Amino acid sequence: MAKTTTSLTAVQCFHCGEDCNKDRISAYEKNFCCSGCKMVFEILDKSNLCDYYSISKTPGTQQKNTIREGKFSFLDDKKIAASLTQFQNENRTHINFYLPQIHCSSCLWLLENLHRLDNAIISSKVNFERKEVDIVFSHHQTSLRKIAELLSGIGYEPYLSFNDMGKQMPKVNASKIYKLGIAGFCFANIMLMSFPEYFGIDTKEYSLLTTFRFANLALSLPVFFYSATEFYVSAWKSIKHRFLNIDAPIVLAIWVTFGRSIYEVLSGTGGGYFDSMSGIVFFMLVGRVLQDTTYRQLSFERDYTSYFPIAVTRVFEQKYESILLSEIKLDDTLLIHHEELIPSDGILTRGKALIDYSFVTGETAPVEKEMGEIVYAGGKQLGSNIELLVIKEVAQSYLTKLWNKENDKSEKNETYSFVHLLSRYFTWIVFGIAFMAAAYWYVHDISKVWNVITSILIIACPCALFLSNTFTNGNILRRLSRNHLYLRNAEVIERMASIDCIVFDKTGTLTTGRFQQIVYEGEPLSVEQKNKLSVLASQSVHPLSKAIVSWTGIQERAKISSYKEVAGYGIEGIVGSELISLGSYSFITKDKSKRREPSIVYVAIEEKIIGKFIFRNQYREQVPTMLSQLGLEYYHMAVLSGDNDGEKNYLQTLMGSHTTLLFNQDPIDKLKAIKKLQESGKKVMMIGDGLNDAGALTQADVGIAISETNHHFTPASDGILSAEELPKLYRFIQLCKANKKVVVTAFVISIFYNIIGLSFAVSGSLSPIVAAILMPSSSISIVLITFGLSNYCSNLYQLK
Amino acid sequence: MNVIILLLIASISVAGLFLLAFIWSVKTGQYKDEVSPAIRILFDDIPSIRKKPKSKDETDTHIVKKNV
Amino acid sequence: MQVEKFYYDNKTVKLFAYATILWGTVGMLVGLLAAVQIYLPAANFGLPYTTFGRVRPLHTNAVIFAFVGNGIFMGVYYSLQRLCKARMFSDVLSKIHFWGWQLIIVSAAVTLLMGYTSGKEYAELEWPIDIAITLVWVVFGINMFGTILTRRESHLYVAIWFYIATWVTVAMLHIVNSFEIPVSFMKSYSWYAGVQDALVQWWYGHNAVAFFLTTPYLGIMYYFLPKASNRPVYSYRLSIIHFWALIFIYIWAGPHHLLYTALPDWAQSVGVVFSLMLIAPSWGGMLNGLFTLRGAWDKVREDPILKFMVVAITCYGMSTLEGPLLSIKSVNAISHFTDWTIAHVHVGALGWNGFLTFGILYWLIPRIFGTTLYSKKLATNHFWIGTIGIVLYAVPMYWAGFEQAMMWKQFTPDGILKYQFLETVTHIIPLYITRSIGGLLYLSGVVLMIYNIVKTVKSGSLIANEAAEAPALSKDIQTHGKQYWHRWIERRPIQMLVFSLILVAIGGIIELVPTFLIKSNIPTITAVKPYTPLELQGRDIYIKEGCYLCHSQMVRPFRDEVARYGEYSKAGEFIYDHPFQWGSKRTGPDLARIGGKYPDSWHYNHMLEPQSMSPGSIMPSYAWMLDDPIDTASTPAKIRAMQTMGVPYPKGYDKQANADLMMQANAIRINLKIDKIQTTANKEIIALIAYLQRMGTDIKAVSKTTEAKMP
Repeated sequence: MAKTTTSLTAVQCFHCGEDCNKDRISAYEKNFCCSGCKMVFEILDKSNLCDYYSISKTPGTQQKNTIREGKFSFLDDKKIAASLTQFQNENRTHINFYLPQIHCSSCLWLLENLHRLDNAIISSKVNFERKEVDIVFSHHQTSLRKIAELLSGIGYEPYLSFNDMGKQMPKVNASKIYKLGIAGFCFANIMLMSFPEYFGIDTKEYSLLTTFRFANLALSLPVFFYSATEFYVSAWKSIKHRFLNIDAPIVLAIWVTFGRSIYEVLSGTGGGYFDSMSGIVFFMLVGRVLQDTTYRQLSFERDYTSYFPIAVTRVFEQKYESILLSEIKLDDTLLIHHEELIPSDGILTRGKALIDYSFVTGETAPVEKEMGEIVYAGGKQLGSNIELLVIKEVAQSYLTKLWNKENDKSEKNETYSFVHLLSRYFTWIVFGIAFMAAAYWYVHDISKVWNVITSILIIACPCALFLSNTFTNGNILRRLSRNHLYLRNAEVIERMASIDCIVFDKTGTLTTGRFQQIVYEGEPLSVEQKNKLSVLASQSVHPLSKAIVSWTGIQERAKISSYKEVAGYGIEGIVGSELISLGSYSFITKDKSKRREPSIVYVAIEEKIIGKFIFRNQYREQVPTMLSQLGLEYYHMAVLSGDNDGEKNYLQTLMGSHTTLLFNQDPIDKLKAIKKLQESGKKVMMIGDGLNDAGALTQADVGIAISETNHHFTPASDGILSAEELPKLYRFIQLCKANKKVVVTAFVISIFYNIIGLSFAVSGSLSPIVAAILMPSSSISIVLITFGLSNYCSNLYQLK
Repeated sequence: MNVIILLLIASISVAGLFLLAFIWSVKTGQYKDEVSPAIRILFDDIPSIRKKPKSKDETDTHIVKKNV
Repeated sequence: MQVEKFYYDNKTVKLFAYATILWGTVGMLVGLLAAVQIYLPAANFGLPYTTFGRVRPLHTNAVIFAFVGNGIFMGVYYSLQRLCKARMFSDVLSKIHFWGWQLIIVSAAVTLLMGYTSGKEYAELEWPIDIAITLVWVVFGINMFGTILTRRESHLYVAIWFYIATWVTVAMLHIVNSFEIPVSFMKSYSWYAGVQDALVQWWYGHNAVAFFLTTPYLGIMYYFLPKASNRPVYSYRLSIIHFWALIFIYIWAGPHHLLYTALPDWAQSVGVVFSLMLIAPSWGGMLNGLFTLRGAWDKVREDPILKFMVVAITCYGMSTLEGPLLSIKSVNAISHFTDWTIAHVHVGALGWNGFLTFGILYWLIPRIFGTTLYSKKLATNHFWIGTIGIVLYAVPMYWAGFEQAMMWKQFTPDGILKYQFLETVTHIIPLYITRSIGGLLYLSGVVLMIYNIVKTVKSGSLIANEAAEAPALSKDIQTHGKQYWHRWIERRPIQMLVFSLILVAIGGIIELVPTFLIKSNIPTITAVKPYTPLELQGRDIYIKEGCYLCHSQMVRPFRDEVARYGEYSKAGEFIYDHPFQWGSKRTGPDLARIGGKYPDSWHYNHMLEPQSMSPGSIMPSYAWMLDDPIDTASTPAKIRAMQTMGVPYPKGYDKQANADLMMQANAIRINLKIDKIQTTANKEIIALIAYLQRMGTDIKAVSKTTEAKMP
């Protein structure tokens, strides 16, 4: 292993690669940033699994905040365990864990060698794309809890949430793929056996020719009766909805083609158009499959249950027991650990609560609660352990109710893609032509009527439109996903193109939720003073204190006496014979008149104010430019923030005077705001991150959830956008607008083919060879055109 | 050219065989994860009870590869 | 208890590796000999066994089935075990497979040199060996599918799919193509005649290339390239897609070997279209290979193994692009029958197969011997020598091919051919010489490798059974899907094996079909009659000496060819040709219309000493034909065989065949006597002359009427 250390920079943690600061640990001639990392290394080293570190450099994840002892004790509960396991027989259990930390080949290797750490594990298989591991273990020798702890022990803490309960793996529904495969197979062979037809087979070989024809007929059956059902179904649905969608005319064309071909073969008058039929079905299926690409690693269907823990600790007759969330009863006393989510509304009965509601309400500053105060579900306890008396069951609690309120509005009014309307006109025109042609031939040469009508219907199948649509959608979705915007499905593209109003959430969306911008105003501080400040501040767990510590950039361990913390107001203590205080104005000056300024902390030495820290949210890079750009494009913009109005002015200047800025919005307000905009005839796009935006996101015409890298909380939405790509928003919208243009262009081009084809058909002289060349060539060229154009557009907007 | 029929029968039966294989492979989720298999083959499954020194040069060769 | 310990079988891998090296050297040595003989006819040492006509098939068989063949098995036996996390299904089968295959190679070498050949390119081996091949192949299949069945890794890596495809398809091709009716031990006639035989042959010929030289090596590439570069393949999805695409398209590219021949147009077009479609999947493979190394070019600079692989993949890309281009009719009109084809195949063989094999050997040998490569430097030198060798080989051949084709097609202003055929040959001899130098370089590179590998092997000791461990494939349900699915999955590999065996059976049954197809509706020409017994014997001598390797029997409907050789060939002329002898290369002139062109004595002297008749000719002397007697004993059997295949000899003709034979022979003997040549009637030369004089004469009578039909 010696070699590895030399290949690493001295200060890098051997395990996680983070820079080790002062309190670095050196052991085994390696450096670790924290004891957590060192521990993991020891575990692996013991079982001789150090290849983990050689497969890829510093593969670990930082282990600073160690997992609470007995965090997974609830897995010992039979009921809970049963609800999680996928399969169990007399001696084996199958469990599937979601491990968000999976990121490199080392992870894969280690997680598939778990059996070396614990030989009760029979096998473990990683699904890299889903970041999941399937573990089979013998439950006689170990337990679910042990395995969860083992995983946490090596730095892969399983993420278990309330909705993992009785989670069923989505079954691989690949029927489309089968249809595609079969269509492709038949198409290729039919084409093959149609060649003699096209290249003029020797009349002496007529027997051969008929053989080919019947073979083609046989091969076309699976296409017609299986592969094409895809379209039959949706066509039938649309007819039942009294709405003629694009599939209807396509199905008609397929049937006519098939019927006529069969007639020709049986009557020996020709080879039919089996190749065209199967070809079209094949290409269209390809289009469908491309368009329906799903992002396996993402879920657009999150509800509050994914944020809640599976189980909580209940205090019962002085004993702690872990119970399922669903078992929480009124008047239960719950123990909430540090960094744990509050599952249901309750009254604080022990300890001091410091609750981070940013996720629910969007407020950045955590809220202190004293004993006897009501705490709402959804917040995260930052302080030490607390106990609370349940006053509302999970299902009734504030957050959940709010969620359910949203859900009943969640279904969007069915909007039909313009493609369907387009195809409808197209179809009617074609019918018209067919009718006239028929009439004409009825007069001149009645024998040709049937022939002509069928040819026209075959040629004029709007499959070109279908193809251009599906392929463009598919390709644009692909390009967007390359830029880390993952849309739920193809309809979203169109909706996104049509929006004229964009609503942002502030915290976590425009700003990075966590790191705050901190500005000091007042007398310059000497190094010595800074030291003292940091010593004082480092006594408190309050995020503002933490921020100040990191601002001073010093981590001195100095003596401090008579330290005092007044929750929600400030802290003070004597450092080196000087009384230092940090806190609100009222806390220091003891005059209650001045109104509370949530994002300002005053600094006082010997009760004399020498300056103040102003906290401002850190805006994401380039977000300002993006906003101004959108402004220029006359998008109506708005900001709905759950946070205080501390930055109203700043935002106002940023986004221009015409933007509406609303602060202290609770989730319901946000939802209502969106509705109001919609009622005023706006097509609204909502962009937010937290649970507090969930309602708004579902209500909006397009709801885009922002996700930090590796951040697995994204509320239900139409799309997921990774935070650092937010500045591209404008270009994304542009591309979605381009989508429609591309489709139409391609379609117009395809119409030319149709015209050529029609002219042949109408004149009653459509030779198989012409049809055979026309059909695939048009399809393929359409495909190429759409790909070319959509790629061109996305390059035009400088998208990856 | 009747022999072409013979060739057709032969080829199509083979192609059909592969079609079955294809359907099977999709059905059984062979392609559920299109990332791991490619990585997985890079690992040798050396027995865990191997002597330390061996493990050393084992890993070293890895590293050499990496640093090359 | 959970984790299973098991051992990888490296012994068999080692054996196959050694065999690869041995046969590679032999094959290339023979190739070099053949290359020299092209400009130095005397290099046949005056022996029938070492004459070009017999050496060349030995070369092709040796490099394809012995060198590449063993290379495939080496790669498969090494990678399959590791991909399945299981030892090969059965050590016994492995043994049988290895020794069986080597036995086949040896017998092939011996019989080919002795002149036992079926006269079909790349399928020259006679029926007993064909059967042996089938059996060994089935053994390999059982061993492979057995391993897949007992695997400990549920996912079948893409390489395994390539192996499966190879096995199944090659089995089918081999059986369909080598369907022949035995006349005696070591002599048989192809079931199919003329055009049909040609179609089957090249359908096989092309797919031999596709599924013996390409798909298995792609599979191997997909395993060894990532391993050697220690980085996953660029796009696994692409590899999957391009596999399925390749499999469904490849089979039909065959007919592009027969453009402008008597094969029906539509069949030719099928070949063209599918060949063109092939570009996509082939390049999918190549790009995937090259992109795998993206960002690792520094490694490539260091590591000879990766160098070999990069060049191999590039060559693969080049020849898979060139192939389709060559199958475009207008290109083919120039390239076909020239050395262009030779260049094309050697870019593939030397570059793709050869270099990939070397790369793998350098990577694999040290591993299974638990040591490191003796000298990286030597390997790098090998790489450079080999690369120069390839260039020196390919470039002159492209040049020669193009040059010659152009010369063939040139007319003087007053409409006569500008060059005699011989001139076009002598003109490119310098290029032939350069080519052989390229070959020599390539071979010397291999010698370097042998030294390097011997040293490496010495420095280590074989890890015959490499210990490994992996958890068993859990037998109860996978986490997804329902109970029975899983059982179904687990049974699958057996079913695949069963399928394949059934397929082999189907193949066998299908083989009966031709008997019904005999009454084929080839446009028959009444003037075309069966060969006389003597001509038949002569034809077998023609086949035995491998004349078809230098002389085509297919006048294509081009102005120059008609002017040079005469009336273009019609499908109807070949209905009694078992097997067809169209050939694929014109080192010498076409012989389709040789009959009656020269007096018997000319042929006699020409066979004795070609240069005496056509000064500067590069054709070797066939002096022994003047002394060796005709094997008249076989005549009746041959006649009977022909009758079973529908050749209309009168009933019981086999009885008096030899009498007729002697009668015709005497006539020729007298002819020769008139030209002052003393010989007895029972000499091979007589039979050969009879055949040569017969060739293409049937149609001459009716040629006037068909003239109108010429496109």
